[in-house]
Amino acid sequence: MGRDSGLNRRSYLTALGAGSSAALAGCTGFLGGGSSEDTVTIGSDIPYRPFEYETEDGDLVGFDVDIAQAVFEEQMELTPEFTDTSFDTIISSLNNGNFRVIMSAMTINDTRAERVDFSDPYFTAYQTIVVLNDSDITAKEDLRGRTVGVQKGTTGAGAADALKEEFDGELTIRRYDQIPAAFDALINNQVVAVINDNTVNAEFVEQNGNVRFVEGEGAAAEEGENAPPYLTLTVEEYGIAFRQDDDEFRQQVNDALAAIREDGTYDEIYSEYFSG
Amino acid sequence: MAETRQRERREPAPEPFLNDRRLKYIGLTASVVFTLVVVGFLGLILYTQVNVDRFVNIIHPQFINAFFVVLQIVVISSVLSVIGGVLVGLGRISETLPTRGIAKGYIEFFRGTPLLFQLIVIYSGIPAFWPPGQFPIENFSIPAAIIGLTLNHSAYIGEAIRGGVEAVPDGQMEAARSLGMSYAQAMQEVVLPQAWRNALAAIGNDQVILVKDTSLLSVLAVPEIISTVQNINSATFDIWTPILWAAILYLAITIPLGKFVRYLEARADPAGGRDR
Repeated sequence: MGRDSGLNRRSYLTALGAGSSAALAGCTGFLGGGSSEDTVTIGSDIPYRPFEYETEDGDLVGFDVDIAQAVFEEQMELTPEFTDTSFDTIISSLNNGNFRVIMSAMTINDTRAERVDFSDPYFTAYQTIVVLNDSDITAKEDLRGRTVGVQKGTTGAGAADALKEEFDGELTIRRYDQIPAAFDALINNQVVAVINDNTVNAEFVEQNGNVRFVEGEGAAAEEGENAPPYLTLTVEEYGIAFRQDDDEFRQQVNDALAAIREDGTYDEIYSEYFSG
Repeated sequence: MAETRQRERREPAPEPFLNDRRLKYIGLTASVVFTLVVVGFLGLILYTQVNVDRFVNIIHPQFINAFFVVLQIVVISSVLSVIGGVLVGLGRISETLPTRGIAKGYIEFFRGTPLLFQLIVIYSGIPAFWPPGQFPIENFSIPAAIIGLTLNHSAYIGEAIRGGVEAVPDGQMEAARSLGMSYAQAMQEVVLPQAWRNALAAIGNDQVILVKDTSLLSVLAVPEIISTVQNINSATFDIWTPILWAAILYLAITIPLGKFVRYLEARADPAGGRDR
């Protein structure tokens, strides 16, 4: 997701979480041995529909989960294992050795790239605005002086901050721990709009008949891309994040990503989760 | 006589290792070592982790605003929870069964479920009764915070009041009643003033906890102190600079509050606090 990392400047604690030993399997081993050679532990902030979330039966599913399956299990013959972690400390957790990689709908950006290395992009996302069906908001400018909801530490929050600057401070931003709380706030009349990734917003719009996208041309159209119908504040690409000393593994993952794009697996997974 | 003689014949017991003098010096050494470690750690944080420019920069408006939001919530919830707590406490010691039972149920529920749970019920649960976008209170996060803290802490204060009343000897009530006072009069004039004094320490303790409980309000997107730490950390990757402010601001509320409670205790003490 387009979440803007909240990270400790230093990996102050070397404490390793329960999932860490598996995360280190096959790693350089300087933080200790791994229990299983062929497991790759993936840090992810769950739930974040439709990228990673649990079904009512408790099964972990989602776009990231299926991509991980295709890349790690089918291409690289490793067993992917997801570890739930909080997004605002996810990069520190990676660098502390709590898991091997991050797959959490994470947008590639420069600040993050200072602390982690990214794979090739495996997804393109846009920051979008959802409002209630009967809302009077039809354009970005209508948000001036209103209250919007975002998830803490996300690029959606970053887009809201940028918008606030554009409006000379005339925007109130409510920052929620997780995106469902921001959606609840929209339904419960606490915010007039939620700014978040298009895919997650699209799923929300589809699941809930009371909300809609704000439409119009935005960043995607400006960049001449194959622009979606809704208003886009920014264009972002998602990547898998690695520790900076993990280049060889990263290269293998890039090859695997290319392979699943080639053999159609990627498109299959994509169309399973996203209609557009 | 025989006993005395026997005692005289005994060897003087070997002095135990932990005599009073040793205990004194062990205590002193431990506290000095502890202080040195803390001071050293603080120095390390200040010297290596805290960015002085940023420290000055973030106090206004972020932390000042957060501080006053917290202060406002604390003052209102404090007053309401003491009022509520006295009512709950009186219900708890009532001689009428339904009143006592209901007060007991109230206490069991609000002490038996986490405050975080109660906050989520109020903030996300209650507005769900309205159709989407129809919930009438627009800035519900602060009212929800005050309601949650008040309901929760009324239960604890109710228990403190009950303890205070039970510590007043039965004779006080009996004597007052035998003078012809009604139950209400006896409570008001004789028992409660003494019970209040007994309960003050526990109530004061609870109010300090109430201040710290405001950290949970970050879940309701209340722009309080912890959220401010997270936002600054997320934007700057610097954790210690905002943490330092958070520590200062929490203590700036809890330490004067503690002093105030001790002042009230001294004032309520018939000895005028001289024996303390």
